Amino acid sequence: MDHKRGPMKKHTVRTIRRLSQGIFLLLFLFLFIQTESKGLDELGYPVRIFLDFDPLIALSTLLSAHAIVAGFLFSLAVVVLTALLGRVFCGWICPLGTLHDAVGFFSRRKPAPDHRDWHRLKYYILFFLLASSLFTAQLAGIMDPISLLIRSLSLSVYPLVNYIARAFFDTVYVMDMPVITDGSEWVYGILKRAVLSFEQPYFLQGIVVGLLFFLILGLDLYERRFWCKHLCPLGALLGICSRYALLKRSVSEGCTSCGVCRRVCPSGAVIDKNGTWRGSECLYCMDCDDLCPEGAIGFGWKGSGEGVPIDLPRRSVLVSLMAGVAAVPLLRIVPRSRGDWFHPALIRPPGALKETEFLRRCIRCGECMKVCITNGLQPTLLEAGLEGIWTPRLVPKIGYCEFRCTLCGQVCPTGAIQELTAREKERIKIGLAVIDTGRCLPYAYGIPCLVCEEMCPTPEKAIWLEEVKVRPREGEEIILKRPKVDAERCVGCGICEARCPVRSQPAIYVITANESRSEGNRLLLNP
Amino acid sequence: MNRRDFLKKTCIVGLGLSIPGTVDSLVGSLFASEYADIGVARATIPEETTHAAVTKAAIDAIGGMRRFISKGDIVVVKPNIGWDGTPELASNTNPEVVAGVVNLCFDAGAKKVKIFDNPCVDPRRSYQQSGIADAASAAGAEVSFMDDRKFKDVAIGGRFLKEWPLYTDVLEADKVINIPIAKVHNSAILTLGMKNWMGIMGGWRGRVHQNLDQGIADISEFMKPALIVLDGIRILTAHGPQGGDPQYVKTMNTVIAGTDQVAVDAYGAETLFYIKGSKLRYVRIGHETGLGTMDLSRVVIKKVSV
Repeated sequence: MDHKRGPMKKHTVRTIRRLSQGIFLLLFLFLFIQTESKGLDELGYPVRIFLDFDPLIALSTLLSAHAIVAGFLFSLAVVVLTALLGRVFCGWICPLGTLHDAVGFFSRRKPAPDHRDWHRLKYYILFFLLASSLFTAQLAGIMDPISLLIRSLSLSVYPLVNYIARAFFDTVYVMDMPVITDGSEWVYGILKRAVLSFEQPYFLQGIVVGLLFFLILGLDLYERRFWCKHLCPLGALLGICSRYALLKRSVSEGCTSCGVCRRVCPSGAVIDKNGTWRGSECLYCMDCDDLCPEGAIGFGWKGSGEGVPIDLPRRSVLVSLMAGVAAVPLLRIVPRSRGDWFHPALIRPPGALKETEFLRRCIRCGECMKVCITNGLQPTLLEAGLEGIWTPRLVPKIGYCEFRCTLCGQVCPTGAIQELTAREKERIKIGLAVIDTGRCLPYAYGIPCLVCEEMCPTPEKAIWLEEVKVRPREGEEIILKRPKVDAERCVGCGICEARCPVRSQPAIYVITANESRSEGNRLLLNP
Repeated sequence: MNRRDFLKKTCIVGLGLSIPGTVDSLVGSLFASEYADIGVARATIPEETTHAAVTKAAIDAIGGMRRFISKGDIVVVKPNIGWDGTPELASNTNPEVVAGVVNLCFDAGAKKVKIFDNPCVDPRRSYQQSGIADAASAAGAEVSFMDDRKFKDVAIGGRFLKEWPLYTDVLEADKVINIPIAKVHNSAILTLGMKNWMGIMGGWRGRVHQNLDQGIADISEFMKPALIVLDGIRILTAHGPQGGDPQYVKTMNTVIAGTDQVAVDAYGAETLFYIKGSKLRYVRIGHETGLGTMDLSRVVIKKVSV
């Protein structure tokens, strides 16, 4: 193991690492931007592949749903990688880690605050999540870094970027200046094709999700890689996997205990001036190697020891496990858990499993909400209970379910939303449209309308027209057509609600009654 | 005055009053005889005839595209891309008919041909699944999604619609060609050419349903298309305007071209659906206001087999 590093070697590893981080971040963002309809039936890009490689999600889904989802076999590659090389995923690949490094660049240059034991918190979080998964509560996706990043980008950051871009370009457009507006429109056209969304996305809770995300990144200004060191459950899982990694850090006799390595270490893996090393915390950034004035540090296969083991007090581990177990019944003592209780506005995407199964799989990654062609899929707050926070539901007033579109099932990484053919999807009912005759134009005001009937996409027409003779307040008797919903044919797509001219409170709206996936919510006994 | 004078004056005044009519029909027949008012082309051996060829034949029957498009024109071609449906479902204009018209425009010297529509559902799926975006782009047209910022409130001066936001590209074009597809429609009975103008309207179009026929007539009176090409290659005969099942579609392999919006709709209604034009209230209104004529006996129709 060659410890002699010449001046040429300085920062070479860092450059390669930055390159690796950059490439994976760009790949991640590219796939994120491709998670959008182009009008075709298939998406064409493996947009959820970062989630497929995520061992934390794979493990928690396996525990809570008792199912191995094919895509997750990729995550074994990351496990093997970590077992051999340590947490290189965290230091070289994870896109959230890269963002942390970027923000951390602006943090105070003083030595990082010494939170000797705070690194343990992420292990407690991990054990809590795994224990609750084992007892069927799928909460890992809330704190998994990849899921969190996709969700935050989808619900908040990307809409924010789009809003700013549109505001800018629309202002220049309205100002209509001779050369400048043309130039700006040209740039806008390119950005719209390459990076911007087709239409401005709007999401419920976008503000809160955004604030949380910026808070998590903001912590890097206080202490670099705060999330990775203290909070990330995936980091904790990989830390455990890296216990016997073959790639190890070693310190030669040339060490003068100057403490430079401890000062520059972003992950708190180097814990004292002698260079004692906590392998499970190391992100393998190799800055200590690059910056050691004596060249005494190296990373290689023949390390001088295993490093310090993960020091978790048994009692704390037990408490976090028990808390995870106790959380499950605590979340389920609400009426939602009753088998016969259905929320009228919890319209799940077509292909969603029945509710108990759905909640065991949905990791709240936000992929389906990002891809939804009409922006109709929105995160729940309490409609699915606290346990189901940030799972997707359809809000027709924001966006209906496009009849022949099957994109949400294509992007769901855990199979909470099954992938369907267009044929299969067109037969699935996600709810039932109901008409409030107190404000429907033909019923309440004797004014012809029938927009709902025209919009209904079902080939056999789930809205039919009843002709009645009506005497208006003034004038002669008229013949009026009124809409009626055919409960056997309505699939609950919500385009009727989305297009009803009674804008503030549509006269026809969808409730979850009769959804195919819930036996208990069935309306008709013999459809 | 004496009786002779009275009779003489009456005859002269009477003759004078009738002259505008006589002069009109004299002049009319002098100029009209060169072109038919409506051209109808039908493929006799569909397997061996392209839809574009049928389209060209229908337009040639009324004088060819050069009668309508001049060199250097910026043309807006307005097909029906209203719905998410493949050509077999006959909910949108046939893409080959659209491409055929685009090609003919360029042949006649058009500088630019723009294609767009304001669908009722997601525009990406409508443009893609209908095949129109690809076919029209391949023919050299500038295909674009309609831009929210390009709508301008226009006083269209209708009886029901006084003012409505319309797309500025249409208002600024040199020529506009309407390419509807012939379908049944549960609210309007049939949707042909006049109804197709709703695609250039912005705002909340659902409100037009409160007096749909008058609204259709109002917008049609405002629009002055150079040409209407009614796509009857496949027509939708049930559960329109979307359909959704091939069994609702009837293949007619026919294209109808004309310049009189009312006449084209009346003729299309009768020949494709066996419904008299007068049954469509918007056609009746257009006839009464003089926008066109629904009396097909007064229209010169040229039928061509391809």
